[in-house]
Amino acid sequence: MVVGDVTTGTEVLVVGAGPGGYVAAIRAAQNGLDTTLVDRDAYGGTCLNYGCIPSKALISATDVAHDARNAEEMGVYADPLIRADEMQEWKAGVVDQLTSGVEKLCKANGVNLIEGEATFVDDSTARIAHGGEGQGSESIEFEHAIVATGSRPIQIPGFEYADDPVWSSRDALDVEEPPEKLLVVGAGYIGMELSTVFAKMGVDVTVVEMLDGILPGYEDDVSRVVKKRADDLGIDFNFGEAASEWVEDGDGIVVTTEDEDGEESTYDADKVLVAVGRQPVSESLDPEAAGVEVDEHGFIATDDQARTNVDNIYAVGDVAGEPMLAHKASKEGIVAAEVIAGEPAALDQQAIPAAVFTDPEIATVGMTEAEAEEAGFEPKIGQFPFRASGRALSTGESEGFVRIVAEQEADFVLGAQIVGPEASELIAELTLAIEMGATLEDVASTVHTHPTLAEAVMEAAENANDEAIHTLNR
Amino acid sequence: MAVKEFKLPDVGEGIAEGELVSWLVSVGDTVSEGEIVAEVETDKALVEVPSRYDGTVKELFAEEGQMVPVGDVIISFDVGDAEGGDAAAEAPDTEGEPGDSVDEAKTETEEAAAAETPEGRVFAPPAARRLARELGVDITDVDGSGPGGRISEADVQAHHDAAEEHDGTADETPVTPGEGEAAESTGASADATAGAAPSGTASRETTLAVPATRALAKDLGVDIDAVPTEETREGEAFVTEERLRAFAESGGETAEPATSAADEGAREETVPYRGVRRTIGDQMAASKYTAPHVTHHDTAEIDQLVETREGLKETAEEKGTRLTYMAFVLKAVVAGLKEYPILNSELDEEEEVIRLKNYYNIGIAVATDAGLMVPVVKNVDEKGLLELADEISDLASRARDRSIKPSEMQGGTFTITNFGAFGGEYATPIINYPETAIIGLGAIEQRPVVDDGEVVAAHTLPLSLAIDHRVIDGAEAAQFTNTVKEYLAEPTKLLL
Repeated sequence: MVVGDVTTGTEVLVVGAGPGGYVAAIRAAQNGLDTTLVDRDAYGGTCLNYGCIPSKALISATDVAHDARNAEEMGVYADPLIRADEMQEWKAGVVDQLTSGVEKLCKANGVNLIEGEATFVDDSTARIAHGGEGQGSESIEFEHAIVATGSRPIQIPGFEYADDPVWSSRDALDVEEPPEKLLVVGAGYIGMELSTVFAKMGVDVTVVEMLDGILPGYEDDVSRVVKKRADDLGIDFNFGEAASEWVEDGDGIVVTTEDEDGEESTYDADKVLVAVGRQPVSESLDPEAAGVEVDEHGFIATDDQARTNVDNIYAVGDVAGEPMLAHKASKEGIVAAEVIAGEPAALDQQAIPAAVFTDPEIATVGMTEAEAEEAGFEPKIGQFPFRASGRALSTGESEGFVRIVAEQEADFVLGAQIVGPEASELIAELTLAIEMGATLEDVASTVHTHPTLAEAVMEAAENANDEAIHTLNR
Repeated sequence: MAVKEFKLPDVGEGIAEGELVSWLVSVGDTVSEGEIVAEVETDKALVEVPSRYDGTVKELFAEEGQMVPVGDVIISFDVGDAEGGDAAAEAPDTEGEPGDSVDEAKTETEEAAAAETPEGRVFAPPAARRLARELGVDITDVDGSGPGGRISEADVQAHHDAAEEHDGTADETPVTPGEGEAAESTGASADATAGAAPSGTASRETTLAVPATRALAKDLGVDIDAVPTEETREGEAFVTEERLRAFAESGGETAEPATSAADEGAREETVPYRGVRRTIGDQMAASKYTAPHVTHHDTAEIDQLVETREGLKETAEEKGTRLTYMAFVLKAVVAGLKEYPILNSELDEEEEVIRLKNYYNIGIAVATDAGLMVPVVKNVDEKGLLELADEISDLASRARDRSIKPSEMQGGTFTITNFGAFGGEYATPIINYPETAIIGLGAIEQRPVVDDGEVVAAHTLPLSLAIDHRVIDGAEAAQFTNTVKEYLAEPTKLLL
């Protein structure tokens, strides 16, 4: 203990106020536990402040401009003007509303809030260093701790985020003056979402990617739809190249890449956005001091109750491993809080959905056909193209499809892949279907509103059983 | 040589467990496929368990008298060389120590299961999975009753209840601090479930009992909250007078711990309350406490019936049929039901409709060693006397030796119980819920009747008709009985 520390006690200490941490803290408090939530930065974590929410706000705003600009076939002619600074102001308003909402909810539920950086002293004590001079520190003795420290963007050698022309995703989301030319390193989901945003702002975007395609992890026919749209937006792709260095060149920069043969290419740009993935934040907490094991990548291993190798310490969200998804973090937070409260909670989801907010959107849940086969199922597939959907055509967005993977014997839904308009919303129905052990018939026999995009889900289920009406049966 | 396991199969009807009544084989016996190796009594009937393999019995996993949950392995077989050879070829490293073979069998079983639902995938909604966690049930062990084997909360609960009874122990769910009392009372309740005789004491806060039972408890100096019981009313423990007396006799008022079986010695004997007996009990309680019973008594004069039967008996015997009165009663009852369909009905409380049945499936209560069973004679109106007599005889004998199938005891629309076979005249039969009426037959005897102002001896059959007074009125009961009486008095009318 540092001299001058004030030591207080709490039943549950939650470190990190992102979607894993604040949800855990609220649920713990709802269960009658004295709960303290500490965060060194901002309520809502990466998701609300530097990730999901601001990126989706910008995606929506730029979509409005892009759609208006491209509505001539609907008889609408417009030439929207984008003021990036005002767009940022609006985005900041959205973020502020949400973060202050989180703070209010925490307080209303009786969660004690502390700003500062937590470090474990041992398995029942943490020291909280308050930010700023003269703020001092304090110690908290806890009965249980929930680590929800999240993740940060991975940095690549030679590209320091501290350097002005090098952007992390966080920097890119705060930009008030779009560059003329942007080089994006990485064609994963963050790289693709932001490339689309900047392309729609009118920025000249080039993407370099080490692998040989966009969105690794998604099936070819899924990512192909997104790639085609990106091509239409004028985004240039260069695959099989890794960024190696950048140098200033007049007003702009030149980024050098290397392919596997060592052959170099150079790209002129104003800024370079590095979007090559995220890594867990755990070292600042000094988990080892509490005996919590951390793997070589910085992840904390947990069991199906979010418990670490130390009985009274739990880990949730990005720091607890892939997939790094806010909704997974929240679920884990709830489980951890309930387990601490003595409830029989567990992480036993059949599937966790994931969405990419590219244009068009991608959303997946459960198994792909190949994964189902690998797992020993004999998969049955149903597919419905959005070009056969009345609603999709009437919105002018008819690229993509809904695909459902079911098992052959009883027709239980195992997974789904959707690429197309509102995929991120449509996936919810199939996630529920998987969770409930629903069959294709359950989905197909549920009456869906017409005309909606959701009908495509029903039609895909019908297609799997060769009963599709609005598309040819496979 | 490979080992194959046999699990107690799902015999349908939502049955979750069965009592292993007897083993017909021992370890080391050679069995062939289809050979019956065990008898298992479920809630409904005695089920024969056939061997699925040619081989020798390797291990029996249950004792006679033990309750076995559906899906539990009850027997394993060493099976023939061919299969054994295959198994060895597939898994060469499992050859060797005999002990390994069980593990291998387990692996095979697991693999077989895995083939059905790969990766241990379970198709169950979150609520069912949560309940499984609450009850400490491994959901991968639960057999789902839904389409394709989807697991419901009820399946999880049934699995848990079966396992609990199988263990003969109280709920093993970890008890959180402060739940000690609840756990204690759960234990008492589990004890009571396992045996009819009261053992131990309960310590409830609330106990329901009728005033007379409360008065008796006072007289006997018994704390009614300490009397173990598994009966409940509206979720609260309910103590009957019988329970109370048994508890008092066992010295329960001193709240002493249960006496050991040896101490109890000849004073009392414990008879398991389960299987058919428990099903009867549950059914009776459900019926009695659901349907308000009213019993209508009357007597049929049946001299003509006695004569007619006497006259036909020999002819029937020549045809190999033992013509009983029951066949006539069935016909007379159906004639009555046709005139008064309200007695051939069922009250659907959920839908708020009375379902009148235009078919006549008559249950006949049969006393068996295991207790009351009710085989059902289907479509009585379409069958002749001889056919009915044969069918009754066949069903009754199979009910007695418990080889009757559960499906043969279902689908009844009205029931006849013949307590007269044991003597006596009138009784209050309990309706075979959800049917709405039952008729009880007393003994056919010559009794004095008044004929034209003179007391004469006549053959009479006492009738006791119990009705669900929610559905049937007294007048209808009386009219129906009169019709049955008419047909029994003049059986030739049945020919019309």
